[in-house]
Amino acid sequence: MSSNFFQLVRNEQTKLYSQVATWIMLGILVVVVLGFALIVRTADGFVTNYDDATWKQDLQQENQDLAEYDATGTQILINNYRIENDLKPEGTTAWDFLYQSNFMTSVLSLLTIIVAGGIIANEFRWGTIKLLLIRPASRTKIFFAKYTSVLLFALTALIVLFIFSWLFGMLFFGLGGDGVMLQVKDGEVVETSVWVRIAQDYGLQLVKLVVWATFAFMISAALRNGALAIGTAIFLMFVGSSVVPFISDKAFGKYVLFSNLDLTQFTTGYKLIEDLTLTFSVVTIIVYYLIFLVIGWILFTKRDVAGH
Amino acid sequence: MAEPAMQLIGLKKQIGSKLIVKGLDFDIRPGEVFGFLGPNGAGKTTTIRMMVGLIRISEGDVRIQGKSIKSDFKGAIGHVGAIVENPELYGFMSGYKNLLVFSRMIPGITRDRIDEVVKLVGLEKTINQKVKRYSLGMRQRLGIAQALLHRPSILILDEPTNGLDPSGIREIRHYIRKLAEEENVAVIVSSHLLSEMELMCDRIGILKNGELISIQEVHSTDGDVPEEMVKIDCAAAQIETAKQLLQEQFGIAAVDNNDQLLFPISRDQMPPIIKALAVADIEMYGVAVERKTLEDKFLHVIGENVIE
Repeated sequence: MSSNFFQLVRNEQTKLYSQVATWIMLGILVVVVLGFALIVRTADGFVTNYDDATWKQDLQQENQDLAEYDATGTQILINNYRIENDLKPEGTTAWDFLYQSNFMTSVLSLLTIIVAGGIIANEFRWGTIKLLLIRPASRTKIFFAKYTSVLLFALTALIVLFIFSWLFGMLFFGLGGDGVMLQVKDGEVVETSVWVRIAQDYGLQLVKLVVWATFAFMISAALRNGALAIGTAIFLMFVGSSVVPFISDKAFGKYVLFSNLDLTQFTTGYKLIEDLTLTFSVVTIIVYYLIFLVIGWILFTKRDVAGH
Repeated sequence: MAEPAMQLIGLKKQIGSKLIVKGLDFDIRPGEVFGFLGPNGAGKTTTIRMMVGLIRISEGDVRIQGKSIKSDFKGAIGHVGAIVENPELYGFMSGYKNLLVFSRMIPGITRDRIDEVVKLVGLEKTINQKVKRYSLGMRQRLGIAQALLHRPSILILDEPTNGLDPSGIREIRHYIRKLAEEENVAVIVSSHLLSEMELMCDRIGILKNGELISIQEVHSTDGDVPEEMVKIDCAAAQIETAKQLLQEQFGIAAVDNNDQLLFPISRDQMPPIIKALAVADIEMYGVAVERKTLEDKFLHVIGENVIE
């Protein structure tokens, strides 16, 4: 029974990696990481090497410059903390680069959405769904095998992102530093291990990834249209959060998925809607997530597979 | 008589308020080739899709080896191999990989079995090529191979000779007969081509507007009905003599049609007639027997102009 499910997942992986498009997507991810590394390496200001003797004055100068336009002032707080605690900035290291690469999870989300949006709809487009569903495996099992396969793809792509970020980070910036990062939380500067920050920021980005991939998967399963699934999921992922300011004062505002999905609002303390709490947001996200999954599952298992 | 391989019990399909399949009741016997004939839109494909669980049954049931496709899908479908409509397979994978993927969905299919099936359909040379490079005939054969992997006792082929060239058609016909006769597989074939069906089927069910209007045995074994039309080609000058002879000795009223004598007769009466004509020195250039075609039967059953 469970070995049957394992075989179904294995089949999905076989099919996924037999397609050139999958390899192209992973290739694009590597190219994007490389591009980012080159930009960081060459751009001014990203890699500032501070002199041992004068770094404190440099930071004070930086603060004066920043005070004019940096409204949030996190960098000022961090610079002050460095001066007070005698922590000289190291410049970018491989660890920093790996951490900074977390914004590339949006590329990862894009790729995962493409896979999720296609994995069921393509079977319908190819006509192979008719061969897939007339085997002694329930539609429910096939549905979840495909879903598992999407998550496995996301995990694989994440590992690729990690490995290449670290590799290019090593290559361009070298290992170094003590792996301690400074972070502003509720107006206080705290020291955190780079690993904690990586786990935290990647983790929070992955929540978004999983939700939108599940959304694309639902549309793919329910409407059997890959382009529609990918299009709506990408659109909502990029545009959705910009809706929040318009609904933040409405009563229903905090129940909208977009208001809750950016969990980094709880690590930085800058909340999109004042009365949101971490627990409330997590529960809301889980509810939406389950709704997506259940709608997809019901329609996939119940709808007739009729001719074109 | 043996247990039926498949039973259709009051099978109905309703979409909206429209009844597409209006209650089908018939059995398919093991080892027979059953033809499912009807014009496009008669409900053939809908019925076949209900047989394999792709479409929900509105009323009634399909029992495969006694197991209901509705309540015991896995138990029932395990006995079935099928191609529904076109043999659509994964174009980006090799023929072998396609078979491997399908073999993993049913426990107990060994690599040896895959090789055996490949050999049976004669794809040894091209099995490692990508399916997108296959001709329609090769795809059709691969489709049959995937349907046979798990040694089903029922094989369902929807329009199996669609798009094949004459030699391909003959080959498929040969496989189908062989499977039915040697492996006792019940084969259900659908088509709108009468001549095709006549050559490979044992029985033919005619479907019209969602109703089974007749089931015909193709090779009638009862010899007393004069089923065959005999055509004798003889010298023009002797036509009248021959006609007279037939009338006097056998009581047959032959029709003169462009120097050919046409008359209906049962098979066992033929040798004495030919002998008598030869003894009477009638110069015969040819004796041909034409079975009354199914087309005649079907047009009679259905009415004119409904079969394409």
